[in-house]
Amino acid sequence: METRAENPNGRAPGGDGTKKLGRQMEKVGHTAEHMWDRTRDSFSDISDTLDLKGRVDRHPYGTVAAALGIGYVLGGGLFTPLTSRIVRLGVRIGLRLAVLPLLKQEVAEIMESIGEDDGSGVKGEAAGKGQASKRTRTTGDEP
Amino acid sequence: MEMTEKIEETARELGARVKPQIEEARRRMSSLNSSATAYIKENPGKCVIGAIAIGYLIGKLAGRRG
Repeated sequence: METRAENPNGRAPGGDGTKKLGRQMEKVGHTAEHMWDRTRDSFSDISDTLDLKGRVDRHPYGTVAAALGIGYVLGGGLFTPLTSRIVRLGVRIGLRLAVLPLLKQEVAEIMESIGEDDGSGVKGEAAGKGQASKRTRTTGDEP
Repeated sequence: MEMTEKIEETARELGARVKPQIEEARRRMSSLNSSATAYIKENPGKCVIGAIAIGYLIGKLAGRRG
């Protein structure tokens, strides 16, 4: 009965409970602060890693194009006919750009070699004709 | 001979008439390019997020069609 008189609710004295609650609140506050610091740190780490400002300064159009591509993939446009068409077009243009100079070079070399052959061929033909005429002359001299 | 001269004259006239317009177009394109680059550099976050959003929409549309 005495304890009931001291603690009518059967609980610990009110002052102690308030202290406990205060301590817990303080703990929660500390935890929240710690979490906020960590989140901020990780965000700054990410922004340092990405270096968005520097990247945009260096390649403004490239960064925007990359962002467009990321959005396209996120939108689920990766495995679609449009992607295949774009890839086909890109490959065709790339091949044309890569192969055309090589083809030009090859054609120029072939033309050069043909020109050289023609020059030597004419000389050879003339020499052959000369020999032939000599031969005919010699044969003609003979009785 | 006269025909060739006439053609040359016409080509020269055409070139003289078109050249200023081409120069003007080139100047406009150059100014547009520099202003676009400056805008992107001033607002990188806005531009990147906008580009992602546009890409997302295009991807959604492409997915719906396919």
